[in-house]
Amino acid sequence: MRPFKAIGDFFDERFEMRRVLREFADHNVPDHVNWLYCFGGITFLCFLIQAFTGILLAFYYQPTMDDAYSSVLFIMEEVPYGAIVRSLHAWTANIMIIMVIIHMLRVFFHGAYRPPREMNWLTGVLLFFMTITFGFSGYLLPMNQLAYWATKVGTEIAGAMPFVGSYVQVFLMGGERISDATLTRFYTIHVIILPVVLSLFLVLHFVMIRKQGISEPL
Amino acid sequence: MNQPERRETSPEEHQKGGVPFFPDHFVKEMSVMALVAAILWFLATLMPMPMGEPADPLRTPPGIKPEWYFLAVFQILKYVPKDAGIIFSFLIFPPLLMLFPLTYNWYSKYTYGRLVVHTIGALGVLTAVFLSLLAYLGFE
Repeated sequence: MRPFKAIGDFFDERFEMRRVLREFADHNVPDHVNWLYCFGGITFLCFLIQAFTGILLAFYYQPTMDDAYSSVLFIMEEVPYGAIVRSLHAWTANIMIIMVIIHMLRVFFHGAYRPPREMNWLTGVLLFFMTITFGFSGYLLPMNQLAYWATKVGTEIAGAMPFVGSYVQVFLMGGERISDATLTRFYTIHVIILPVVLSLFLVLHFVMIRKQGISEPL
Repeated sequence: MNQPERRETSPEEHQKGGVPFFPDHFVKEMSVMALVAAILWFLATLMPMPMGEPADPLRTPPGIKPEWYFLAVFQILKYVPKDAGIIFSFLIFPPLLMLFPLTYNWYSKYTYGRLVVHTIGALGVLTAVFLSLLAYLGFE
C-alpha cells in the first residue's frame, strides 16, 4: 500500500482533500431520513446519465433538417450500442422529470421549504423548469413526425403569449417555421446553455443543503 | 423576519443526534440509485425508443399532443381563454411557485394553516394529473 499512501500524501499536502472528505463522510443526517429523501439524489443520477449518454449522442447527431433524422437512425442501426445509448437518454429524460416531481412533492409535504430554506426551494423550482426545458428542446432533435408536430404546438403556445408572443416564437425558432435555424437553436439550448446553467444551479442547490442541513419533518 | 414557532435545527445540532452520512445514509442512497439504474437499463435495452416516421411538414398527423409533462397546460388552454391560460401558466404560476415558501411565516400562525396549504397543494396535484389524463385520452 506504500505507493498509494505516497500518492495520497502528495495530493493531501496540496489540496487537503482528506480533511474535506472526512468532514463530508462524518457529517450526520437526522434519524428520520429514509428512502423518501433519495429522490433528489436519483434526479442527480439521472442528470449524470444524461450528460454521459448525451455526449456520446453528440458524436453522431447532426442538427440540420436534412440530416437530423438520418443521423439518429444511423445511431439506432449502425453505431455499436447506439440504440441502447439513445434509448437510455430518452427513457432517463422522462424518468428524470418524474423524479424531480416526486422530490418536489416530498419537500412540499414535509414543509422542508420553510425558513431558512426558501432559497433552496427557489433554486429547486428553477431547476425543475430547466429540466422541463431540457425535455422540450431535446424532443425536437430526432426530427420525426411526433417531434416536429409536438414542437409546432409548443412553439405556437409560446407564440400566443400576449404582447411578447411573436418575438418569443421568432427568437426560439429563428424564423416563423421550424427550419435549420430552429434545430441549431434548440440544439444549442439543449447541449450548451442548459447544461452550463443547470450545473451552476445544482452547485448552489447542493451547497445550500450542506450549509442549512436537512429539515426536520413537520 | 419573525421567528417561526418551531425553530430549525442548525447543522451543528445535527451533529449531536442522527446517523453518520457515511456509511449509513450513503449506502441507502447508493442502493436506491442502483435500483433506478437497473430499471433504466431494463427499459433502454428491452424497450428501445422507436424512431417514428421522419418529420413531414405537409402531413399533419391526427391527434397531435405535446409531451406528457405539458398535457395539463395543454388541456387547460382548451377550457379557458387562451390569453388568460397562457398568462397564468407562464407568467403567474412560476413566480408564485418560486415565492411560495415566503407564505410560511404567515400561514403557520393559524391552527389549520398547514392543513389548508397542504390540501390546496394536494388538490392542485390531483387536478394536474386529472387534466393530463383527459388530454392523454383526447377529451375536448
